[in-house]
Amino acid sequence: MTTEGEGTLAGMQPKRVPLYRDATVVKWVTQVIALLLVLGALFFLVEEAGANLKAKSIPNDFDFLGINPGFNISEGIDKDPNTGGRALWVGMVNTLRLAMSGIVFATLLGLAIGIARLSDNWIVNRLASIYIETIRNIPILVQIFIIAVLLGSAGRLVGDTGPINGWFMVSSKGLAVPRIFPSDGFYQWLVVLAIGTLLARAVRKRRVTHQDLTGAISYPNLWFGAVLLLVAVVGWFVHPVFGFLNNLFNEIGDAWGSIPQSGAKLVLAAGAVTASLLWIRRFLNSKRSPAGLAKLTDDDMFRMIFAVIGGLLVAFVVTIGWPGLSSWIINSGQDFWHFLGDKFGDGRTGNPVDAMRPTIVGEGTLLNYGSQGLVMSPGFAAMFIGLTLYTASFVAEIVRGGILAVPKGQSEAAAAIGLNRAQALRHVILPQAVRVSLPPLGNQYLNITKNTSLGIAIGFADVVNVGGTVLNQSGKALPVIAIWMLFFLCCSLTISVVVNWFNVRTRIVER
Amino acid sequence: MTDTSVADTDRLSGNKDMIVCEGVNKWFGDFQALKGVTATIKEQEVVVVLGPSGSGKSTWIRCINRLEAHQGGTIIVDGVELSNDLRNIEKIRSEVGMVFQQFNLFPHLTVRDNVTLAPIWVRKRPRAEAEQLAMDLLERVGIPEQADKYPGQLSGGQQQRVAIARSLAMEPRVMLFDEPTSALDPEMIKEVLDVMKDLARGGMTMMVVTHEMGFAREVADRIIFMESGEIVESGTPEHFFTNPTEERTKLFLSQIL
Amino acid sequence: MTDHITIDQTPALPPEKPRLTAGSWVRQNLFSSVRSGILTVIFGVFSFFAFKVLVNTMFENPDRDWLAVKTNLRLYAAFAYPITQFVRVWVALGLVLALLGLSLGIWRSASAVAARTIASRLIASGLTVLAGTLLVGPPVLRDEAGEPVYDETFEALRGTWRSGLEQRTGWFLLAFALVAAGVALWFGLGSRRNTLTVPTTLVVWIASGVVIGSTWVVRYGHYGLDPEGVPVGDPDSLVAMSTRMPWTVMWLLVAVAYQLGRFVSRWNSSRLLITAAWFLAPFIAFWVILRDPAIDYGHVWSTDLPMFLGFGVLGGLLLFLLADPKIGELGRFIAFLLVVVAALTFVSGFYGWFSMLQKARISFCLLALFALMANNFAGDRQTRLRFAGAWVLLIGIAHYFITLMNSPSTLELRADSFLGGFLFTMFAALFGLMFSFPLGVLLALARTSTLPIFRLLATWFIEFVRGVPFITVLFFFDIMLPLFLPAGMEAPDMAATVLGLVLFSSAYLAENVRGGLQSVRRGQYEAADAIGLTGAQRTSLIVLPQALRVSIPPLVGQAITTYKETSLFAIIGVFDFLRVANYVVPNQSTPVNFIGHKLEGLIFVSFVYWLGSITMSKYSQNLESKMGVGER
Ligand SMILES: Nc1ncnc2c1ncn2[C@@H]1O[C@H](COP(=O)(O)OP(=O)(O)OP(=O)(O)O)[C@@H](O)[C@H]1O
Ligand SMILES: [Mg+2]
Repeated sequence: MTTEGEGTLAGMQPKRVPLYRDATVVKWVTQVIALLLVLGALFFLVEEAGANLKAKSIPNDFDFLGINPGFNISEGIDKDPNTGGRALWVGMVNTLRLAMSGIVFATLLGLAIGIARLSDNWIVNRLASIYIETIRNIPILVQIFIIAVLLGSAGRLVGDTGPINGWFMVSSKGLAVPRIFPSDGFYQWLVVLAIGTLLARAVRKRRVTHQDLTGAISYPNLWFGAVLLLVAVVGWFVHPVFGFLNNLFNEIGDAWGSIPQSGAKLVLAAGAVTASLLWIRRFLNSKRSPAGLAKLTDDDMFRMIFAVIGGLLVAFVVTIGWPGLSSWIINSGQDFWHFLGDKFGDGRTGNPVDAMRPTIVGEGTLLNYGSQGLVMSPGFAAMFIGLTLYTASFVAEIVRGGILAVPKGQSEAAAAIGLNRAQALRHVILPQAVRVSLPPLGNQYLNITKNTSLGIAIGFADVVNVGGTVLNQSGKALPVIAIWMLFFLCCSLTISVVVNWFNVRTRIVER
Repeated sequence: MTDTSVADTDRLSGNKDMIVCEGVNKWFGDFQALKGVTATIKEQEVVVVLGPSGSGKSTWIRCINRLEAHQGGTIIVDGVELSNDLRNIEKIRSEVGMVFQQFNLFPHLTVRDNVTLAPIWVRKRPRAEAEQLAMDLLERVGIPEQADKYPGQLSGGQQQRVAIARSLAMEPRVMLFDEPTSALDPEMIKEVLDVMKDLARGGMTMMVVTHEMGFAREVADRIIFMESGEIVESGTPEHFFTNPTEERTKLFLSQIL
Repeated sequence: MTDHITIDQTPALPPEKPRLTAGSWVRQNLFSSVRSGILTVIFGVFSFFAFKVLVNTMFENPDRDWLAVKTNLRLYAAFAYPITQFVRVWVALGLVLALLGLSLGIWRSASAVAARTIASRLIASGLTVLAGTLLVGPPVLRDEAGEPVYDETFEALRGTWRSGLEQRTGWFLLAFALVAAGVALWFGLGSRRNTLTVPTTLVVWIASGVVIGSTWVVRYGHYGLDPEGVPVGDPDSLVAMSTRMPWTVMWLLVAVAYQLGRFVSRWNSSRLLITAAWFLAPFIAFWVILRDPAIDYGHVWSTDLPMFLGFGVLGGLLLFLLADPKIGELGRFIAFLLVVVAALTFVSGFYGWFSMLQKARISFCLLALFALMANNFAGDRQTRLRFAGAWVLLIGIAHYFITLMNSPSTLELRADSFLGGFLFTMFAALFGLMFSFPLGVLLALARTSTLPIFRLLATWFIEFVRGVPFITVLFFFDIMLPLFLPAGMEAPDMAATVLGLVLFSSAYLAENVRGGLQSVRRGQYEAADAIGLTGAQRTSLIVLPQALRVSIPPLVGQAITTYKETSLFAIIGVFDFLRVANYVVPNQSTPVNFIGHKLEGLIFVSFVYWLGSITMSKYSQNLESKMGVGER
């Protein structure tokens, strides 16, 4: 591992140092010992846990994913799942649904409160600060409990009047709002919209060129919106012309399905290895210098070794370790294209999008919501309201901090070059504020996602809750916990990636 | 590479070699910052290193107490070779003192604690003895009354003098100075230079990177001129300032004088 | 060497703002423009109705019965802790409060409140109480059993407004007293109200004194269950002596401790000692005071003491030798051997090759750790003696507590676990923070280290823990921990919850500390290297003190999060503070019936959590502005 002291130009060999005094050797030996200690500790813990589990005859496998779980789920895409895996999937979808709506609404509410916090109106300012100081200092779980109790005690319907009768209802059975959903011609209309977007962008580009050339203000964004709107409206009626895509997609699906499995494996494995080799080549190229490669640090070696191991590992997994993967890719690809194909043609002429108001069935105390509207179960409603209110208080502080972080000199400079207040905000203040706020905002989105796991406390059927039921019935604690953790890690990773992407973008925008 | 031989002043003729550099190379990524630097510095010699910005002066003297690891050639300090050998690194760190452009005093410790740190923790001296030493050194650099203040409360010149005292507290055999006066206001430069002159007269081996030509003329036994990682020229101050041999040296001198 | 954190002691008062007259204040802050005026009207009306709904939900509502909280305060405080031994709870609380007083005295806070602010706050709160009293609906009529009376449409029957106003004289008096005190302060001080400031600590102390003192005078009522479990409900008497006496003592104790703290703060070592005391106090409060171990003295003489002497004397001797500056590589070699031995003691334990007391294993680990550090503490005889002495002291404390943990408790318990309620929450939070702090610092160091494997391990751990919800970690330990404990040993909920909390918050703490570490400039590292410090010395003497100082505000923030996070224990079935409110009380049917009364308890719990976390967050804001971190 010695990377230093080699290739001496003066031609003199450094004297051999005893190993225990060689800085590089000591450094690596220490690390390897530490690694071994950690791995050893882990190994012993796992060993011990396994032995104890066996002694208590608690099985530790993933069989439950494939067999009937034997329970129903109170809400979700499938209330009576036929396998454990399906049940967990239902829970995951519920979690994601909750997390996404929480993220959207917490951002909006937080934005409003954060701006209110900066208002020069005393009452508005005070109210916002009382809100923040109260909400963010009480544990979210307590708040969720309180909301659940309050919802539960709203025995009768309240708020079933308003601008449109039935637009919003509250009762101990949850919240209900009108449901907007894609219907008959939705996918055909999407194709129209996609074409419309291309068209609108082309128009915008022309307008921009026009503005650049003549200096006349030509409202490119307005044009963009107008064109898109026009296409959308026209498409609302003419979308059936895209029914012919039905055949196309089905053909593609058939072709996809006929890929031989071994071929798919080979492509995947080769792809993994090539990717790692390409990475190493790029890496080495970035390190290449007139004096050759002798100056790679231990760290660089380490990275390359890991790249190779990673590539080989992936190749191994796709070819031998997990043969199901390639057939899964083939089958699901085929299914995907056929699914798309089904959405087109076949006399689809109806509205692309439809809406329904919630209805009420039953009478007196047995009153309940019908299946028409968008009904949020009491659990979902309590979680949603709780998460939104709680996270909004943090978002508000982030927004305030972000705006305050832009130095005063910036708005003064903007004024000095003649921008008005709105232009200054749009072109100077906000871009900088967003840059400061994005990373902590991403953290809050992560927190919402993780906090959905509190659903188990009030019986909302999220992934932790469903997993808990599976765990209680099958006793397979470790597999269930592993699935939970893996799921949340994936969510966290996704959010970090998205936030990072925005982060990079805003940084470039700023330059 | 030109003459790198020791200036044969009488004062140093019998002294042993303190720092020996042989073809020292150093890369940062694919950029070579030192290209075969070879030089020998005698005990009690005062060497001033000059050169344009980016010529590798800092890199070179930082290699000498292994703040940077050199990647080719040999560096021997007081008979100890700088290599991967942990024992040698420890030894050299406590034999070579270094003063930085930015002082780098420890802001959370008082001046006294800054100075006693090395005697107590490195030299393993008893605290009382270390504090006595610290007071003596602060006396020597002329600020005994500031011992209980924090670095943030001192002027730049005072801070740099504390930094010198801190290095001296290790009782080093060699002192390295990397532009010790560049971050100072003009009126503070003198007080620091005075301390350094004192040190030089006291027989300390010193290697000084500086742009203070007056100091170089007055104190240096030898001046080494570097450019783009190479030693271009080396010689006594008279030789260097009056009739340099190399074109590059002349150019440099014409720009700064 | 001063290793405490020194913070500039100048009081940070905002610059004097010109005072406005009432009229111009209203104009500037409420009606500065048409838009602002509209907002004022809309949100003024909104706040009026929101406040009205709030007070009516909480009070004089047929669904509310605050007796559910008043009667069960002991459950909230300590759940099933034996009532006959309750004095232990007070002693434990006293210990913590005394330390708090001492610390406040030693690290005197410079934060102060302007007299003007106090006066206006008093008047505002008086007016709020008055408004609330007037806005609450007429009293709900109740039968003898305390149940509300309903008419045929299931509307609760209410008395007249007049009767309500008559019953609420106490509230009117309170409102009057607050306003009067505020007005008196305002006019009594005259123009000095703008300049005079009072230390925040004093304000808090006086306010709590007024509340506690009033229990000796005002008939708040006496509620609860007596030792036989018979409900006591006497609305017209003073608060029970067993409540008001201890609180009064606690209040005085804080004052005495504060003065003592001011006195001892002149000694430099007092800061170190008090920090050490903070680390020991939770252990003593938990294992000595609350748990009251029945120590088997025969075993102590035959095994524990000899073992301590063995490790203490032999280990001390070894460390004394290892701290010799001249020992060189041999020292490293011996330390390495000790690490191997320590690892082997665990390996052998797992494989059951030979049984060894857990104590010996832990001692070997500690010894190996000390041996590894020895060369950093080498020096003259005195230094070496001090190093060896530190070892003896530490191993003594460790052995003492392990003995305590292994001894059964003398308490007669009615529940599985002897701690519950707020005590559980508090101790879990304290232990969690105490252990997660060093772990977090280590993780941060590893993550910023130049050694790739350490960095990789730390990064993986931190990112993993930060990526999963706390509840899954808790479930993991709740299920896994019993598997590792030897058969027969009770699996204390505390261990699972604290372990989960430690792992969880250490990952977050590590990120905060990492921020601090990154703020330490490179020059500091180079200077430390240049004067010859070893890596460990550089880290502990130069880098960490600076890094931790910068990370104090985020660390307090993390402490608040951890404190709030303790509420999740309720989900895994521990009888913590929240679970008492959410589960225990609402299911109480005998001897008192509070079935379904959840909201009262939840409001109470939120209030307690809120109080704790707002205190900490105000404190951290104060620190932040003092350190100029939050300033731009
Ligand atoms: N850590 C580093 N990574 C990459 N390049 C470096 C690093 N340190 C120095 N260099 C490069 O090495 C060259 C020599 O730098 P050095 O600091 O030694 O110059 P210098 O002679 O001290 O200049 P100055 O008079 O400005 O201090 C420069 O081109 C610099 O950019
Ligand atoms: Mg330099």
